[in-house]
Amino acid sequence: MASLALRNLSRNRRRTLLSAGIVALGCALSLVVLGFVERSRALIQESTVQQFGNLQIADPNLLDGRAEGFAYLIDPVRRVQVEELVRAERGVVGTTAQLSLSGLLAVRRTTAVVRAVGVVPENGVLDYNDLVVEGRGLRPGDVGAVLVGRTLAEELGLRPGDFLNLTATTVAGAFNVSPLEVVGIFRFSSAEVERAQVFVPLAFAQLLLATDGVDRVVVRLDRLGRTWAAARAIGARLRAAGLALEVRTWDVLSPFYRGLSAFFDLLFGFLVAAVFVLVFFVVLQILTLSFLERTREVGTIRALGTRRDEVFRLFVAEGLWLGLLGGGVGVLAGLGLSLLFNGVGIPWQPPGTVEAVALGVDLTPAVVGIPWTVSVLSTALSAVLPAYQATRVSVADALRAV
Amino acid sequence: MRQGSFCYVKGAPVLEGRALTKFYTLGKERVRALDRVDFTAVQGDFTVVNGPSGSGKSTLLNLLALIDRPSEGEVLFDGQPTGSLPERALAALRREKIGLVFQTFNLIPVLSAAENVEYPLLLTRTPRAERRERVREVLAEVGLADLARRRPDELSGGQRQRVAVARALVTQPRIVLADEPTANLDSATGTQIMELLRGLNGEHCVTFVVVTHDPAVIPYAERVLTIRDGRIVGEERRGEPRPA
Ligand SMILES: Nc1ncnc2c1ncn2[C@@H]1O[C@H](COP(=O)(O)OP(=O)(O)OP(=O)(O)O)[C@@H](O)[C@H]1O
Ligand SMILES: [Mg+2]
Repeated sequence: MASLALRNLSRNRRRTLLSAGIVALGCALSLVVLGFVERSRALIQESTVQQFGNLQIADPNLLDGRAEGFAYLIDPVRRVQVEELVRAERGVVGTTAQLSLSGLLAVRRTTAVVRAVGVVPENGVLDYNDLVVEGRGLRPGDVGAVLVGRTLAEELGLRPGDFLNLTATTVAGAFNVSPLEVVGIFRFSSAEVERAQVFVPLAFAQLLLATDGVDRVVVRLDRLGRTWAAARAIGARLRAAGLALEVRTWDVLSPFYRGLSAFFDLLFGFLVAAVFVLVFFVVLQILTLSFLERTREVGTIRALGTRRDEVFRLFVAEGLWLGLLGGGVGVLAGLGLSLLFNGVGIPWQPPGTVEAVALGVDLTPAVVGIPWTVSVLSTALSAVLPAYQATRVSVADALRAV
Repeated sequence: MRQGSFCYVKGAPVLEGRALTKFYTLGKERVRALDRVDFTAVQGDFTVVNGPSGSGKSTLLNLLALIDRPSEGEVLFDGQPTGSLPERALAALRREKIGLVFQTFNLIPVLSAAENVEYPLLLTRTPRAERRERVREVLAEVGLADLARRRPDELSGGQRQRVAVARALVTQPRIVLADEPTANLDSATGTQIMELLRGLNGEHCVTFVVVTHDPAVIPYAERVLTIRDGRIVGEERRGEPRPA
């Protein structure tokens, strides 16, 4: 019976090839697009983790943007406690601490409000030196040094070697001002960050705020996939240690990533739905015609004692074979196209990343499996209605059909 | 014409039609295609139902073959009324106990001759080895042992009808019903098919009901019913047919 369904596909080769071709096209197309989306997502994930680390541990009020005063600061004792507790977790590559502050940057007669991120230079976990396009990065031992974004540097006419002043309020509430040397200019994917954010050594930030605390501990893990399990485990450890700190994962920390990821999901969902609704209706048309042409044959096999449900299954099996054929060809075509794409390597800069990369397609099991499954299912599904109709005709009427 | 005898070992009635009436509605009109027809086929019978076009032959055959239901009256198979049986049970009776031969052969074009003959055995879930054996036997019986692998479109009309006869016989049904089996064949080929059916009746006591408007079929009949305007208007027992 399964082989009869398969052989039925050979009746009208041109029509079978047409329908299988449409299924294959839909499958191949969505495979390539899904692969492209996955590659982009992976790149953006990577750059997001470059920017935020895998995890950040901080006071919940700070993370939620509700912080008042400096109550959120983590003193050295607690910082050591946190770092030790984190390093005990599997997959942790390293930790570093940061302290950010808002300040007024003054150069000559111009001022700008900036957010200065105090980082440990060359910490091996998360430093921003690889963003530097002019001058040099921050070095251990640097104190009065700053990395300025490209946009801000242009606006203020800053070059490496220039000096500027940064004013901020100390933890105790006093004004404090300190000179800084611009050692490097960094670029970033977002002009907003390039304008409003500068990087200073952690030691400088602590000096300016007159504190020995930090505001967050950044954790780097060996694998991206470990992020969420590690976050849960570390969160539990923090609670057990009685520390009122919270763990945030990189995807939550980056509103940009969250938005983009949701957009990708939507884009892909929409595309797959559109392609397969189209495939479904085209194949539905073809199969309806194909089954209708065989009304008399349905009459014959039913007269010979084939039951309604057997006829139904025969036709749905035919749709399934068609889907397997089209889906198989589609996967092969999609893989070929992807490899071609990856080989050619068109340069492209995904949104939110710093470097242009080769436009490519990631071939994960999901990238191949989803389009294949959906194309096979939608083809089989498009056989259901015409198959049902084929079983509704009375045997005598079907036999009389031409 | 082949010298042969009918099956003389008569058994119980296989198929009975009691007061079979069938209406068709065509637009506003109600056509009475069959009018209180009584019919009995006893095991081993070779019955020909003869009548002009539109007289209700196919209608009667469809009712007897359990592929259509009468408007009034009852069809009994092996003495059991079938009117209240659900569709599944009728399908089971058709695949196990009834063989059908059509005017237009109605073979499945994508299957070979042997596979067409095998088809009913797949429906009855006959084991593979037995299927092979039965197909081989019955194809030999209809003289097509050498053409088993051919597709229907590689066969002549007469050969196709032989495949159809083999398909009807392969399940060893209680009765074989044929609707104008010679109408799409030239007269010489038609004669061969009728001789084949006659031979099967004589040698294996297969029960046949053949409906036709072809007078050339009548000499093969053991019993001839004449149908006109949906009524049986004559019955003739012929016994041993005359040699040609
Ligand atoms: N499905 C149907 N709808 C309406 N009328 C029908 C239908 N089937 C048969 N009839 C009518 O019933 C009558 C008997 O038809 P039937 O097919 O049984 O005749 P027949 O003897 O087999 O004819 P033929 O030799 O042409 O095959 C005819 O008048 C025919 O027009
Ligand atoms: Mg007829």
